[in-house]
Amino acid sequence: MRRPAILPALLLLVPGAFAAEPTKPAKPPALESSCVTCHKDLDGELQQPAVMAAEDIHFLKGLGCNDCHGGNPQAGADGDLDAAHDPKKGWSGRPHRKDIPVFCAKCHADAAFMKRFDPKARVDQLQEYRTSVHGKKNAAGDERVAVCVDCHGVHGIRAVKDPRAKVYPANVADTCARCHNDAALMGHYFIEIGQVDAYKKSVHARALYDKGDMSAPTCNDCHGSHGAVPPGVESIAGVCGTCHTREATLFRDTEAKKGIDLSACIQCVMCHSNHAVLPPTDDMLGVGDKSTCTACHAAGEPGYQAAKEMGEDVVRLTGTLREATELLDRAEQAGMAVGPDRFALKKAGDQLVESKVLAHGFDLGRFKEASTEGIKAAEAGLTAGHRAFAELRFRRKGLALSLIVIAAVIAGLAFKVRQIERGGGR
Amino acid sequence: MCVSMLYPVARYISPPEVPEASTQSVVAGREGDLKPNQGKIFRFGEQPGILVRTEDGGYRALSATCTHLNCTVQFRGDLKQIWCACHNGFYDLSGKNVSGPPPRPLEEYKVNVADGEIVVSRA
Amino acid sequence: MNWPKPGRIRDWIEERLELSALEEMGRHKRVPVHRHSIWYYMGGMTLFLFGLQVATGILLLLYYRPSAGEAFESVQFIMTQVPFGWLIRSIHSWSANLLVFVLFVHMFSVFFMKAYRRPREITWFSGVALLALTMAFGFSGYLLPWNTLAFFATQVGTEVAGAVPVVGHFMLKLLRGGEHVTGGTLTRFYGFHVAVLPATATLLLGLHLLLVQKHGMSVPPAIESEAKREGREARTMPFLPNFLLRDLIGWCVAIGILAALAAILPWELGTKADPFAPAPAGIRPEWYFCWMFQTLKLLPGHVLGIEGELIGIFGIGLAGLVWLLVPFLDPGTPGTGGRSRLFSAFGVLAILYMAIMTVWVYVAPGG
Repeated sequence: MRRPAILPALLLLVPGAFAAEPTKPAKPPALESSCVTCHKDLDGELQQPAVMAAEDIHFLKGLGCNDCHGGNPQAGADGDLDAAHDPKKGWSGRPHRKDIPVFCAKCHADAAFMKRFDPKARVDQLQEYRTSVHGKKNAAGDERVAVCVDCHGVHGIRAVKDPRAKVYPANVADTCARCHNDAALMGHYFIEIGQVDAYKKSVHARALYDKGDMSAPTCNDCHGSHGAVPPGVESIAGVCGTCHTREATLFRDTEAKKGIDLSACIQCVMCHSNHAVLPPTDDMLGVGDKSTCTACHAAGEPGYQAAKEMGEDVVRLTGTLREATELLDRAEQAGMAVGPDRFALKKAGDQLVESKVLAHGFDLGRFKEASTEGIKAAEAGLTAGHRAFAELRFRRKGLALSLIVIAAVIAGLAFKVRQIERGGGR
Repeated sequence: MCVSMLYPVARYISPPEVPEASTQSVVAGREGDLKPNQGKIFRFGEQPGILVRTEDGGYRALSATCTHLNCTVQFRGDLKQIWCACHNGFYDLSGKNVSGPPPRPLEEYKVNVADGEIVVSRA
Repeated sequence: MNWPKPGRIRDWIEERLELSALEEMGRHKRVPVHRHSIWYYMGGMTLFLFGLQVATGILLLLYYRPSAGEAFESVQFIMTQVPFGWLIRSIHSWSANLLVFVLFVHMFSVFFMKAYRRPREITWFSGVALLALTMAFGFSGYLLPWNTLAFFATQVGTEVAGAVPVVGHFMLKLLRGGEHVTGGTLTRFYGFHVAVLPATATLLLGLHLLLVQKHGMSVPPAIESEAKREGREARTMPFLPNFLLRDLIGWCVAIGILAALAAILPWELGTKADPFAPAPAGIRPEWYFCWMFQTLKLLPGHVLGIEGELIGIFGIGLAGLVWLLVPFLDPGTPGTGGRSRLFSAFGVLAILYMAIMTVWVYVAPGG
């Protein structure tokens, strides 16, 4: 009975044998300050900062109230309110709304200071803000425009990567909507509302909200965050082109190559809309009702003819691809080997994407190269499917042959039985 | 009749061209197919994979299906990165998504070279 | 070197194995001939199909892999890459269904011909046990390709086991190898299907056949008394070769049917099982389980405060028990008609019930 007792004793000697329970990070010392102690006991507006501070990134990084508002928390510990709120110690009270950008920039524009917390921290937010419509109006004394706290919150500011932050990608649209869906507020600036509602119908919003793809663009990815402006007509292709590179490049090359100015067509948004970018459909090409080409190209023009051919090819490729996929599916279910054909068919899908990309070059020749190759691949898939079913029919022929053999054997056996029984009966 | 019954059985028993269902490994190519700093697409089951020969002559194999919207990616020798043409997504040679919309890295496969054959298998 | 004469080889073997005794037995074995003789072929047909299942099953084992990650792919591989793999797998699946069907025919023919009479009670018991084993074969084999339909059918099927009072939950866990149908269940079913069940079935089948040899073929009491009345001896034919040759014809027909089914209606593979996908509409078990499935489905949620499903399971269990004890329950003495005929009517009712329930499952909208 002695030996088992030794084991736990030995375990105690092994470092880490009893792993400590993960402890909560220690409360930042700033929260222990006399500011928080007093303000917690106050009511309403004056209590809020002390409560909300607990999860504020500044407090979590070790900053205290006085680092922004000034004052003397040591004095406050003795209960001396005047000493705590001493303007000589930098006490500035609550900053005026229009001064907030400068107030925050005291630290956020100070590279040396910011490096203490994050070596990669950016310090150009105020500079950017000044280029934005918000920033320009703010500089002109307009108190209604957005300042830092309108988007980031106040006393409860969270890091951008925190899913609870108002500036987390999935929350940005709602944050912007707080003002931009306010008809009364926007009315002052003759700005329409409804952009966010339109956005929420777009392919980008579907990716962001339904698929949880945080890389999908939301308001600030096109308009900028601190330097928020409506993208100018000349920069739309650049904005869209950050992700849709090839389309943008092709589009711009056309302008250069053909020496035409497409800016009159307000570029991407002409066909794809701006906030409500819907998933592109095949009938956006061609010359049908939903065609986007016919807005500029009338019948008889070469552009009209090109649009028509592009539309026909895309429809044909999509249709053939779908048909081939279904045929191969059925063949596979019937037990035929279609793995390699299915893989080859992927090329048709890739070429479909490619030709839709090339449509942005408005060059029928290049488009045709891709679409023809895609149609060829899709038709090859169709042929492969038919071949698989032909193989099935071949099996039936083989069956017919073997059934003949079996029938012959049965006949032979029957004959033998009769022979024996006739012999036995004699 | 015996022949018509035994023939399928004999054929069934004799090893098929591919010895097993290729869910776990596949021959992606032969040595010498690729020059350094070159890549190619190979078939892994029904999905495409990408085999890249790095500048120092080593091999890397990854899933070639972009984690963004399932386009097939390609190797860009000029940028020494894997690129998805659909939305300008970039991955490094270990499959990590380094820029653009891809939300996740590409799955990385194990590469073995045996008898001049480049065998790619799921880890 | 002197080669031994063929006669001496035969003598050498004879001295050790006494095969002549078997030969003797075969020569003496005779099969009664009367208007119901056709049903005697059903046993042989069942045996043949069982043999076919063993043979094709062993062939499938060469390529099959019993894991959730590879089962579907390996069956797909068999169907698409292995030469004639499609044929072997289709025959295995079709033959399994044919086997169950012929087995039912065999069983009911034995029932109506009253072949379970003394001294053949144990033959009947072993037969009923073989029926249960065959259904277990079907149930376990159905899951092995790991496709969506099989996955959910197994989930439903094992759920029924879980509803049995007291031991239900334990049985469910035993069958599934855990709380849910997973890859673990697949491995387990594979073990049952290729080791446990074949071994048990072979033993029981040995007993069954031995008893059939020992007691000879039973002649229905009606025929027997008829012959007695007319004062003539019952007609018979020798098993070897007359009956066996006729058997062979039947087997050839079976092969032909199976080959035709395999080529014209290849057994489908379906789509790979996804445990996290919602259950597809119209899940139903293999047709031979349908009458039980439908019975359970038709019962109301609660009958007299007792769970309907429980009553169903209890009822089916009771029916099984009654069926097993048929040799003791038949009140009719040979040839007395009346009560005995009533007993036969009970069998007709059973067939009708099963047929109607099965058809119901297939014609009911939405499965």
